[in-house]
Amino acid sequence: MFLAQLKNELWKLFGKKRTYIGFGAFLLAQSAMLLAFKYTRWQSDVERLLNGNGYLAAEFISVLTVSVVMLIPQIMLLMPLYATLVGGDLAAKEAEDGTLRMILSRPISRLRLLFVKWTAGIIFAMVLVLALGLTAMGFASLMFPWKGMFVFAPGQAFSVFSANEGLVRFILSLLFMAVNASAMVSVAFMFSCFNMKPAAATILALSFLFVSMVMENIPFFDRYENWFITHHFKCWLLIFKDPAPWLQICQSEIILFAVSATAFIIGAMAFQVRDIKS
Amino acid sequence: MIELRHVIKKFAGRTAVDDLSFTVSPGEIFGLLGHNGAGKSTAIGMMLGQVWPTGGEVKICGHDVQANRRAALQRVGAIFETPVFYDYLSGFRNLEILSTYTAPTSPARIREVIAWVGLTGREQSKVRTYSHGMRSRLALAQALLPRPELLILDEPSDGLDPEGIHEMRQTILRLQRELGLTILLSSHLLNEVEQLCTRIAVLQRGQKVFEGNVADVKAARGKVALKTADFANAAQLLRERGLITATAEDRFITLAEGRSTAEVTQTLVAAGIAVQGIWQHEQTVEDFYLNLIKPPGPKN
Repeated sequence: MFLAQLKNELWKLFGKKRTYIGFGAFLLAQSAMLLAFKYTRWQSDVERLLNGNGYLAAEFISVLTVSVVMLIPQIMLLMPLYATLVGGDLAAKEAEDGTLRMILSRPISRLRLLFVKWTAGIIFAMVLVLALGLTAMGFASLMFPWKGMFVFAPGQAFSVFSANEGLVRFILSLLFMAVNASAMVSVAFMFSCFNMKPAAATILALSFLFVSMVMENIPFFDRYENWFITHHFKCWLLIFKDPAPWLQICQSEIILFAVSATAFIIGAMAFQVRDIKS
Repeated sequence: MIELRHVIKKFAGRTAVDDLSFTVSPGEIFGLLGHNGAGKSTAIGMMLGQVWPTGGEVKICGHDVQANRRAALQRVGAIFETPVFYDYLSGFRNLEILSTYTAPTSPARIREVIAWVGLTGREQSKVRTYSHGMRSRLALAQALLPRPELLILDEPSDGLDPEGIHEMRQTILRLQRELGLTILLSSHLLNEVEQLCTRIAVLQRGQKVFEGNVADVKAARGKVALKTADFANAAQLLRERGLITATAEDRFITLAEGRSTAEVTQTLVAAGIAVQGIWQHEQTVEDFYLNLIKPPGPKN
């Protein structure tokens, strides 16, 4: 029965046009960035950086390199927006539309209903990241060859890999991005369980993430960086360090899992005690 | 089938439902009446486990809704005032989705219910293309999916045109006749309640101010309509003779205890006042309800 409920929740989620806003925005952003990389100074700057560090640029301006170049700004700017947009809708939109009242006139527990919705949200986050990764590679492969990988993220990584090693790291980075997106969805979902409009839940979740990012970047809070969720979001880039700091990555992943679980529990408690009225 | 005992609900210090108790027996069509904000929807919310009571006990099909929601709502269907669905999905898909919240339901059962409510042929169309009447039928279909024993209808005719109201009324009667359902009906349409319900409860400011049979309400000793050329003089004469106790609207009289319409006619004719008509005015549920909730007049 859980699987049937989950399947139907996914029907509801993926049947809505607004669910695809994120996918559409990513496609547009990726094509714009790909053209910008190819036809502006961006590519020559990267080549100069590689050559200056003793690498043969022609060997590393590749599908994987360009894919990561395209992903970095999208993950930082667009991912929170579209993940929280869907997360904020999960419970609050049904309450606003009135369908929640119809569902809750049936013998399903509120906890189970929320668990189904949250799981659907997590699946959405994973699909979004997977689509993002695949389309990034697909777009990049239209203009660049399959060669070695170069990743430069200031303060996070400066590495070169063979094509095979690069692909493994890229796939792992997608996995960690999916955990990030799940945490974003979970925070928005938590707000969505309170008695508020879906837009308010999305805005609150975005505010929470932005405040975390701003505070993390204030020098005074350097020693408290582990307390900020956005600090742990960066672990997807750490996988491109050579050697990869596995302990730090695992620590961040565990914290992100814990944040998601905590957000679900707080949301479920708020939803459980709420009166559902028209 | 439904049992409310001393149920109280307070919202932020405001009492929405105050010490409400009533019972609905199997096979009954029970009407819940009251003005907007009287507490009807809150009471229904508590019956469906959507609103937590501040005090008291709510039992559906013998199970406490708070303690054993699953068992209590297993054979319950509900329709709310504005039928809302996932507009971007088909009617069939909507029913499929909603059925999984109760129990596994076969496509054959969904088709059977669609046929019962008369939506066959339109079930694969998106709900956004449905008229209000079709949405109401779809709402009824979703309520019937779990083969309910109890149907809770919260303003089911809200927003329907007269034809739709008539159709809904006939459907409710058919539900009871063909499926033997127990029905709780909350409605503003007093004539609908009068035509459908066997028993009613009236809520006012969260409190129950009446509970009883519709037949008793209609048969209650009411007013007598008197048609005469000079109602004022006739009324004065009847009052002097001790035949009536009150008049209303220049056409109704209330007979004194033990007096009959024959005595009234005889007295008026003897006094030379022509009586064009006199008959017992049958009280409607509307008259009864309006009298019941009428605010007390100024004291002289």
